[in-house]
Amino acid sequence: MSGRTVAADLRRDNFILLAFTPIVLLMPFWLQLIGGYEALATKVVIWMIFALGFDVLLGFTGFLSFGHAAFFGTSAYVTGLMLKHVTAEIVPAMAASFIVILILSAALGYLTLRRSGIYFAILTLAFAQMLHAAALSIFQGWTGGDNGLTMSTRPQLFGIEMLDLNVFYVAAVILVVMFYVAQRIKRSPFGLMLRSIKSNSMRLQYTGVNVQAYKQMAFMISAMYAGLAGSLMVIYEPYVATKFLHWSTSGEVVIMSVIGGVGTLVGPMIGAAFMMFFENVVQAFIGEQWKLVLGLVFVAVVVFLPGGFMEALRRLRNRTTGAPGSPGATAEQPAE
Amino acid sequence: MALLEVNGVSKSFGGLNALTDVNLSVEQGTVHAIIGPNGAGKSTLLNCMIGLIQADKGTVQFDGKSLHNVKPYDIIQRGIARVFQTPQIFGELTLLENVAIAALAYRDGRFKLNMVEPPAKTEPVYDEAEHFLEDVGLKEQIYAEARHLSRGDKRRLELAICLAGHPRLMLLDEPTAGMSRHDTNRTVDLLKKLAGRGAAKVVIEHDMHVVFSLADRVSVLHQGMIIADGKPEDVRGDPKVNEAYLGGAHE
Amino acid sequence: MSNALFLQLLTGLQLGAIYALIALGLSLIFGTLGVVNFAHGALYIMGAYLAVVLTDQIGFIATAIVVPLALFAFGVVLERGLIRRFYDRPHVDQILVTFGLALVIEEIAKWIFGANNIPYDTPPWASGVAFLHEYLPFLEGFVVFPQWRLILIAVSLIVVFGLFALLQFTRFGLVVRAGMREPEMLKFLGVNITQRFGVVFGIGAMIAGIAGVFGGPITQVSPEVGMQLLVPSFLVVVIGGMGSMTGALVAAILLGMALAFTAEIAALQQIIIYLVAVVVLLTRPRGLFGKKGLVE
Repeated sequence: MSGRTVAADLRRDNFILLAFTPIVLLMPFWLQLIGGYEALATKVVIWMIFALGFDVLLGFTGFLSFGHAAFFGTSAYVTGLMLKHVTAEIVPAMAASFIVILILSAALGYLTLRRSGIYFAILTLAFAQMLHAAALSIFQGWTGGDNGLTMSTRPQLFGIEMLDLNVFYVAAVILVVMFYVAQRIKRSPFGLMLRSIKSNSMRLQYTGVNVQAYKQMAFMISAMYAGLAGSLMVIYEPYVATKFLHWSTSGEVVIMSVIGGVGTLVGPMIGAAFMMFFENVVQAFIGEQWKLVLGLVFVAVVVFLPGGFMEALRRLRNRTTGAPGSPGATAEQPAE
Repeated sequence: MALLEVNGVSKSFGGLNALTDVNLSVEQGTVHAIIGPNGAGKSTLLNCMIGLIQADKGTVQFDGKSLHNVKPYDIIQRGIARVFQTPQIFGELTLLENVAIAALAYRDGRFKLNMVEPPAKTEPVYDEAEHFLEDVGLKEQIYAEARHLSRGDKRRLELAICLAGHPRLMLLDEPTAGMSRHDTNRTVDLLKKLAGRGAAKVVIEHDMHVVFSLADRVSVLHQGMIIADGKPEDVRGDPKVNEAYLGGAHE
Repeated sequence: MSNALFLQLLTGLQLGAIYALIALGLSLIFGTLGVVNFAHGALYIMGAYLAVVLTDQIGFIATAIVVPLALFAFGVVLERGLIRRFYDRPHVDQILVTFGLALVIEEIAKWIFGANNIPYDTPPWASGVAFLHEYLPFLEGFVVFPQWRLILIAVSLIVVFGLFALLQFTRFGLVVRAGMREPEMLKFLGVNITQRFGVVFGIGAMIAGIAGVFGGPITQVSPEVGMQLLVPSFLVVVIGGMGSMTGALVAAILLGMALAFTAEIAALQQIIIYLVAVVVLLTRPRGLFGKKGLVE
């Protein structure tokens, strides 16, 4: 909202959405042109949803969670259990996940958000690990423990079997909708409040705002996105591993968001695509060490280019248009 | 009835008595200065008024209602605003956004799940924010990021943020601290201009020139106790006050 | 005191020892540098891996001296080369860089040694059991405890006392402690604490390395062990109170005891640390020995 009216910002957002939508919907096809395969597109889309929601928390409020696997994994298990034992229809299964994540995120948010960002990072990591440990021990009967949860029948949407491209299009449509929602959140008064939390939460408190409530909402919204991704993951591939709850899954969404460009919404989605591509395509060339390379890229980004890929783009654009970063002129994407 | 009534407030930290039986009364629309040597307890008193800390004894009443255990954001919503010693603003946001936040807090209250508001409804808020920025003389830079401002301008921005909340009482913690003579004068002029707006002001100040330009009433705090309270001219001549400042206490 | 109780206490001490060493290092680094070191678990496994490699070459005693020194040097280099750049940056960035570092170290370990456990055998002279009933009169009958675990406890005690002595009785320690309390004041007095940050980080790394050398045979040596130990260690620091070394120590011992006494109920043992953390968070947010307002 810098240098433009709210209406102008929304127009710009719509333009981005308009460009984004066909790119996403056609992904199974163009992905193959660069060495990917059709099914990879669904995975990419799912992680894009995950990263999008994560950006609402990290990018806007500045709170770094290492525990979002808790929502991704729990949602996957709930949806999986629903599909396995109750109904093959995905809508009620996803609805059940939604409710569980709502409750879980409310509780976790309450426990972890009272304190500073450091505490928050540690506590979210810890509670996610707790759920992971619980899934392997106490809840073993439901989760299948180490073996994971497998389903024998295909999920359905109103009778249509969720196979291949069907799953992709369900996920892709959901992504487009959730992207639009995230855009609106960013431009809304609510979004502005979130960004001000990152900037100076004390000032916000002393401007009459219940900062805690906004933090809680942001946390729960990002948890919903993660939960949505988790649900879709089990619909895509009818298998839930305890890995879904592991801190490494939390770590992956952190890495892709940072590499892509925190706070930009588009950046983390690009990061998700990049990471999926790296894992599934590049691995064929450099083998097992792809994760090491990714780790090095991540560290390099944090040290030298904290704004990630989007910042690199911005710098390139400034250089080609010859406009050095001056206070009034920049700020295309407010708040990294 | 006074707008703000501080009655018998005492506060200690560990063994240290920061405030002892402080009484203060701020009338609507007046400027009330609190002065005193360093360590006298001025900031502590202000923090009691704004809900940052709770007094051990005594009451703080705003508009007849106690502020005891009221959450800071609720205190602000009741109509009190605060300016901090080091200007607290939203550095990464533009000036316009800075003030818009305050205007939104005023319009929507302490929390509103406002995620899908049509632009037509939000525009007026930004217009209002622009007006406040104009009032404090920052119109040219409304799209600049706040962290690039000079200290004096940050102070102005902070005042604009406060004004956007339509406060009836403003608490100013050393508004001219760390400022050049020039900036100090500009700030005083701005405060004088805003004096007519109707908000009462409690100002902690070291700069006597500022105090005597602005204040309708002065309270002198020394070692946690009020030793003088009255019109500026009266306080100026009070022997107890002179002793407090000259007798060993450092400025 | 019954045999069973005594053994459980001893086990608790041993279980807590590794967490204590890691948590102390974390607390030291956080209290002085203000950095939350997500790579601390990785430092542990570095110590363990190095120990495995070197023991075959130069014997255990030499390894036990070389590895901590190597980790110390590594810590100093790390602080000077990388961590230093982040003091002025937001906390989130500090966490991200140390997390990234942990990832890189673990991946390198995976590359060189593989993802599975590598065997780390205790030296023959310490691999048996100690006949405790021969030394402790209040024990009846036949009571044994693995020698290595006793050594671990002993080493941990030495390290803890050494650390506290360093902080209490040396000038260096005085500066560090003052820096933990009032960093601004130190700057005022013209004391350059940042110079010492490298050494502090090095000490933290060294302690993690020692933990790795002596704890390796017990915790197993694989890339994942690092983070597996880090999470409970973080909670130990949180429960004890961020920035309080005493708190970290006490909380580590408490955790060890909790683990020892819930050993019968596997499911409970897995999550006991989290339950304790929740209770502490809800009732005494700043931790057992934490200072108010340190982390809000």
